Amino acid sequence: MNNNHLFSSYDKLPSTWDEMYCDSQKFRAQYEGFIEYLENTSPEKLTKKEDLSKQLFMSQGVTFTVYNDNEGIEKIFPFDIVPRIITAPEWDKIETGIKQRLKALNLFIKDIYNEQFIIKDGLIPADLIYSCPNFLREMKGVKVPYDVYVHISGVDLIRNNDGEFYVLEDNLRTPSGVSYMLENREISKRLFPGILPKNHVRSVSNYPNMLYKKLKELSDLNNPNIVLLTPGIYNSAYYEHTTLARLMGIELVEGSDLVVKNHFVYMKTTNGLKQVDIIYRRVDDDYLDPLEFNAQSVLGVAGIMAAYRKGNVNIVNAPGTGIADDKAIYIYVPDMIKYYLNEEPILKNIETYQLGRPDELEYVTKNIKDMVIKKTDGSGGYGMLMGHEATDEEIKDYLDNVKKKPDNFIAQPILRLSTAPCYINGQLSPRCIDLRPFALAGKDGIDICPGGLTRVALKKGSLVVNSSQGGGSKDTWVLK
Amino acid sequence: MLSRVANNLIWLDRYMERGNGILSLLKVNFLANQDSPELFSWTPIIKNFTTSENEFYTEDAIECIYFMVFNIENSNSILNIVTKARENARSVQEHISRELWLCINNYYLYLTDKDLPRRLREEDPVQFLEDLRKHHLIYYGTSDVTQERGPSYYFMSIGKFLERVIQISDFTEFKLMEIGNTSDSLEKSFYWKNLLLSIGGYQLYLKTHKSTFNEDHVIRLVFQEKLFPRSVYYCVNKLSWYITKLIDANELEKTNLEFLIGKLESTIKYTTIESIKEQGLHNYIESIKQDIRNISMNINSVYLSNIN
Repeated sequence: MNNNHLFSSYDKLPSTWDEMYCDSQKFRAQYEGFIEYLENTSPEKLTKKEDLSKQLFMSQGVTFTVYNDNEGIEKIFPFDIVPRIITAPEWDKIETGIKQRLKALNLFIKDIYNEQFIIKDGLIPADLIYSCPNFLREMKGVKVPYDVYVHISGVDLIRNNDGEFYVLEDNLRTPSGVSYMLENREISKRLFPGILPKNHVRSVSNYPNMLYKKLKELSDLNNPNIVLLTPGIYNSAYYEHTTLARLMGIELVEGSDLVVKNHFVYMKTTNGLKQVDIIYRRVDDDYLDPLEFNAQSVLGVAGIMAAYRKGNVNIVNAPGTGIADDKAIYIYVPDMIKYYLNEEPILKNIETYQLGRPDELEYVTKNIKDMVIKKTDGSGGYGMLMGHEATDEEIKDYLDNVKKKPDNFIAQPILRLSTAPCYINGQLSPRCIDLRPFALAGKDGIDICPGGLTRVALKKGSLVVNSSQGGGSKDTWVLK
Repeated sequence: MLSRVANNLIWLDRYMERGNGILSLLKVNFLANQDSPELFSWTPIIKNFTTSENEFYTEDAIECIYFMVFNIENSNSILNIVTKARENARSVQEHISRELWLCINNYYLYLTDKDLPRRLREEDPVQFLEDLRKHHLIYYGTSDVTQERGPSYYFMSIGKFLERVIQISDFTEFKLMEIGNTSDSLEKSFYWKNLLLSIGGYQLYLKTHKSTFNEDHVIRLVFQEKLFPRSVYYCVNKLSWYITKLIDANELEKTNLEFLIGKLESTIKYTTIESIKEQGLHNYIESIKQDIRNISMNINSVYLSNIN
């Protein structure tokens, strides 16, 4: 041990689960291997590695461009070099829990767009479904291949102070971040030569192959034409779109590259029109087809929904999956698991209050300092009220807004996100984290890549991990 | 191949070729300008590469190089050209080799390094230009050894040689104008030498003709030399080869293109120095440029006509 001061100012947050320390002295077993490496590495060397990681992200083009005054500035998604480590038993539970949840959610989507048994049996009120902006009437009665609606998902988990993983959000539309799971690992390989195999870390590099296989399975053709539809170069996830297309060997297309003729989708090639069979789209439902949704959209393809309904093209994920990851529907997921699968939920939901219910609104108002209020259709950490840090005036304004349309808001107790060590200014400091594993569903079931994106709130004490609000990420090691 | 992708590949190489040409020209003019500023001024260079709206002119060498390399108002500044090339490369990553993307991304990062302008102002400007040009040479080499020979490579090559012919024609016209303004044969020889240096053919000229400047010899080297990769003959020959490859692969339509490139090829091959002089070099260059424009428009129409 020659590098003790690295740990000397590790101020654990009160009543918070720490991923590295079990108490103020003892490390958790899964971290011991990496800690040994840290103890034998000088701070100068670690700082060099931190610089190297930045350089690598830049030179590999793992960047997004922020346009300002016509000048594009390349930014990298902040990366913390210390990996987040998950044990095999923890991962088993996460994996079975997510599979269970996705199975139920997929059945729910199928049910909602077809027979609607769950409404008829009185589990979910009809008006909640029909008032949800993510419910697409255009999907009613549409038959989708193998009844798979959610092919790709990124369920957000957090670990509460009881050490259990809770589901924060089911991202069932076009979740992003998987390229950072892949790149973070590539960077770790270069930062810490030999350390990954020594720690028996499971590989994530198979993800693009898994994804390609799931997409290909959707078609009966031997060699279906699969494309990735991107909103284009100005989208902040453009890097991810190019990476996935490249790693799968499929064409990256923009809306203007596609055209619909006689209810078939074609891409415009130098060799004439070529039929497209499967579209992995990273364009939101709203922008997918100007004839059916947002008429102003130039990112989509006119007529694509009609082609889809005729079964002439497959769209992944299916349009309309947003009904199942809506924050107002979230509350019902444990009930869905019991209803469709007759099982007890493996992963817990976070206690959630519906502000449309007068008693719950009253309870939340009374305990506002311990609550987070969110809009049911919001995302990216915008439009939230964090009760513990808001001023009285902000709370009053927000509640006035809530009272206008209380159905559009939910509240949750302020969570104690677990903390993990981050290398900040030459020392380890605890920062709040979450976890987004990526699951792929296809005709033969669900596979989850052993890893995921660990997002970090890099600001001290902050609970917001969103990249749009100062969050960063870490490599996520799942041990064998 | 997607029509948009083909278009982006053509422009990727056009921009990289243009950048290389501008950097060579800047270096040659810098050295010549230090000898005889009255013959090799900066204004014509700025004029040649900017739009008619440009109001910036300078005779200060470093300021001019700064403008030509870094100014974002100048659409042909190296910074703008490389930014556009990188955006093209970025959107066709699944069609170009990984190495090629990394090469152009690194060039972009090198160019946008905050310290680079200081190097131009405080250090050797020739080394500064050479260092930038090295990225183009790495680009050519990387493309050559990593890119598979197929439609992507052919479209990129078409972009490269189209741009090169246009540049050689422009540089020559540019020098012709200057030559036309003087009756001094020594001055004329300076201009011819400068043209050869700008397109990189000076060394070959010396090897073939020694240090005597004969206008016919220069024209023959620039327009008709089969073995010199920056002669019009060589470029048109390559263009024809890649266009034929793409026609054979059904990636380009045969109808007009085959005729146009065949016509240009025979113009270059079978026009003698005597007949060039008879019609005037300027007219000869104009007819080549017109043919190149037609070919370029025809290739463009391939991706525009497929819209429906």
